[in-house]
Amino acid sequence: MPAKRVIPCLDVKDGCVVKGIQFKHLRGLGSPVELARRYDAEGADEVVFLDISASEEGRSTQESWVRQVARELTIPFTVGGGVAKPEDFTRLLRNGADKVAVNTAAVLNPELVRRAAALVGSQCVVAAVDAKRDRDCGWRVFIKGGKEATGLAALPWLQRLQELGAGEILLTSMDRDGTLEGFDLELLREAAKLDIPVIASGGAGTEMHFLEALEAGADAVLAATLFHEGTLPIAQLKQFLSDRGQLMRLEEPCKR
Amino acid sequence: MITLLDYGAGNLASLEGALEAMGYACQRAENPAAAEAESLWLLPGDGHYHAAQRSLSESGWWAALQSRIRKDKPLLGICVGLQLLAEGSEEAPEAPGLGVFPGFVRRLGPGVKVPHMGWSMTGRTASHPAFEEDATGWLYFVHSYALDVSGCTIFSAQHGRPFTAVAAKGRVLGFQPHPEKSGAFGRSLLHHSLLWLGETPQEQK
Repeated sequence: MPAKRVIPCLDVKDGCVVKGIQFKHLRGLGSPVELARRYDAEGADEVVFLDISASEEGRSTQESWVRQVARELTIPFTVGGGVAKPEDFTRLLRNGADKVAVNTAAVLNPELVRRAAALVGSQCVVAAVDAKRDRDCGWRVFIKGGKEATGLAALPWLQRLQELGAGEILLTSMDRDGTLEGFDLELLREAAKLDIPVIASGGAGTEMHFLEALEAGADAVLAATLFHEGTLPIAQLKQFLSDRGQLMRLEEPCKR
Repeated sequence: MITLLDYGAGNLASLEGALEAMGYACQRAENPAAAEAESLWLLPGDGHYHAAQRSLSESGWWAALQSRIRKDKPLLGICVGLQLLAEGSEEAPEAPGLGVFPGFVRRLGPGVKVPHMGWSMTGRTASHPAFEEDATGWLYFVHSYALDVSGCTIFSAQHGRPFTAVAAKGRVLGFQPHPEKSGAFGRSLLHHSLLWLGETPQEQK
């Protein structure tokens, strides 16, 4: 079995890192390359970048920062945000991304996932899902950065994504995102029944929350604010999880 | 000088970045005519075995690789690049491999999550002059198929079953993990591989 992964997530807008609290109130935090380099040195196992640029200008800066990040990082990284067609997958991979995350476009056109998997391989296709608790269907899938509800129940949608060829699920609990109150463990226990890896996202506030998520069956844990603000150093978190029986990659940070 | 085989199925930007950071000069080549015959050839590969095999054949690389292998010129395959150096793959039974390493590439599982995605402990199973005796560490893997362990295996890892992580035969080396994406340990293995295959790093950047 591979080690459990700790993944910082960086939201990028127009080439700069920002982080939304419950998808609102954006604040600037620095350059993607700078932060990625810091996380690499701190022992992050992977980095996820979500490009939330809406403008054409933001889109066009993407190629340049993705290439720079590819040159700087000694660990893998995923890029998502605005991915709409199979060519977006090939373009991002050609620029150095290791995996590409797709969310809204997969809901609007599920065939995209199948085509992307055939084109670049399932291992490069990360399906991101924003789920919110719902009285009728357990959890409901939201799209467009959490702004729009869909008619999809989350659990069958996860199953469908797996069948379509997604290689991994990045599952965000919208109820918990930015609250620091802990992951939605019930949601994770359900998602862990899939055959593909699941990255838990949304709600991490303490070391214990990460442990709970891994014990609930997540293969990787993702957080943003907690890592960005230095509240919880990644090396300390990984040591904590390892001490409590989780298989973690612990080694000297890369010096070069 | 390292020649990166640019046949449309590898993460070249990421490899180039790593090589540059380690001080190695490299250049992309889209076809064998554009490749320096005397340089080390680096065969990357992501995605489907069959797509990679077909693309290499159509661009003339396949024949050039076969000839190169007969002459035992330095060659390094990474990920699907390693799988192409085996006898063949279950992913595309109709497309034979380059046949450097004995054995077949078979799907991982059942009983484990596929793709095998993440960091796995990788250990030495046989001596090889390129690597230190006690080399063992975490490497980053992203794959659904893996090469069986054989006499050419020098590092192995486990995901449901043991499989070849690094294989060597003559002056051909193959990595299933991505050493360029595997932190300090991965970079060290890549560095030792390149040195052994005859490359010399320039100034460190």
